[in-house]
Amino acid sequence: MAVHSLTVKQILSRVRQVFPDAPEAYVISLINDALTEAGLYNVKTVHAKLTTVADQMWYDLGDESYSSDGTAYKLDLNKLFRVYFMDSTGDYIQIPRLLDKDLLLTDISSESALVGPDTK
Amino acid sequence: MASSIKYPDSSCLYFLEGDSLALVTNVDSSGTQNTSLRKRWKAIQEAVTDGLLLWYHAEPNNITSINDTPDIDNALHYPIIDFVKRCLYMDRAGASPDPNTSSVAMNMAQFHENKWNEGLRRYGMRKRDKVGGTRAIKPPDLT
Repeated sequence: MAVHSLTVKQILSRVRQVFPDAPEAYVISLINDALTEAGLYNVKTVHAKLTTVADQMWYDLGDESYSSDGTAYKLDLNKLFRVYFMDSTGDYIQIPRLLDKDLLLTDISSESALVGPDTK
Repeated sequence: MASSIKYPDSSCLYFLEGDSLALVTNVDSSGTQNTSLRKRWKAIQEAVTDGLLLWYHAEPNNITSINDTPDIDNALHYPIIDFVKRCLYMDRAGASPDPNTSSVAMNMAQFHENKWNEGLRRYGMRKRDKVGGTRAIKPPDLT
C-alpha cells in the first residue's frame, strides 16, 4: 500500500489556490524554512559511522562534518542519543556517556582538532 | 578492521562539548589497561575504520526541485502547507496599504500558525511514534 505524501509541486498547487502569484523559488525557500524548524522536533532518526584517529580525542559533529562510511555524507546532526564502538570481534557495543567531564587529561595531539580562536 | 578493545562498554567513554564529541579509553593500542592512575583515561590510541557508530536525530534534507518530496514523515507534509501560507499571509499583511486587508491577513496568518504548531508540536510526536499496542497497567502480584 503506497503511502500518500506530498511533493513540492502539490504543496505549491495547494498554496496557489489562495496565492495564485506565489513565486516557486520563494515557496521552495519557505518549505526549507519549515523543514529546518521541523528538524528541531526530532523528526528524522539516522545513524552514521566515524573513523577514529590514533591519539585524537575530539571529533567534530558540527554542521559541516561528514561521516566516514561509504561515500561520506553530511551528518546534519542535531541530537546525539547513542554511541557504539567496534570491539575486537568487529561488533558494535554501546558505550556510556561520561557525565562528569572534568578529566585530568586533555590529549595534546588532539588539541589541533579543536576549533581554534575566531580570527574573523 | 576491528579494534583491539575487547570490552568497549567498560573501556570507552564519550562526552559532548558543544559541536565536538570526545572519545576516551582506559586501554592502549594493544588493548592493555593503562597503568598510570592519573592518566588512565586517554584519547583512543588506534585508528579504527568506521569504529564509531552514532545514532542521532538529524536535520531533514533541504529540497531543491519542484519534484522533490519533503524529507520528513508524510504526516507532517500537510502542516508544511500551513507554514507556507502563514508566511505568505504575513507578507500580505505587511505589504498591504489597506488596514482591513492587513488585519484579515494577520488573522489568517495566526490561524495557519496555530495549525502548524498543532501539527508539528502537539500531534507531531503522536503521528511519528511507532510504538503500538494498548497501554495497560500491570498490577503487582501480591500473593
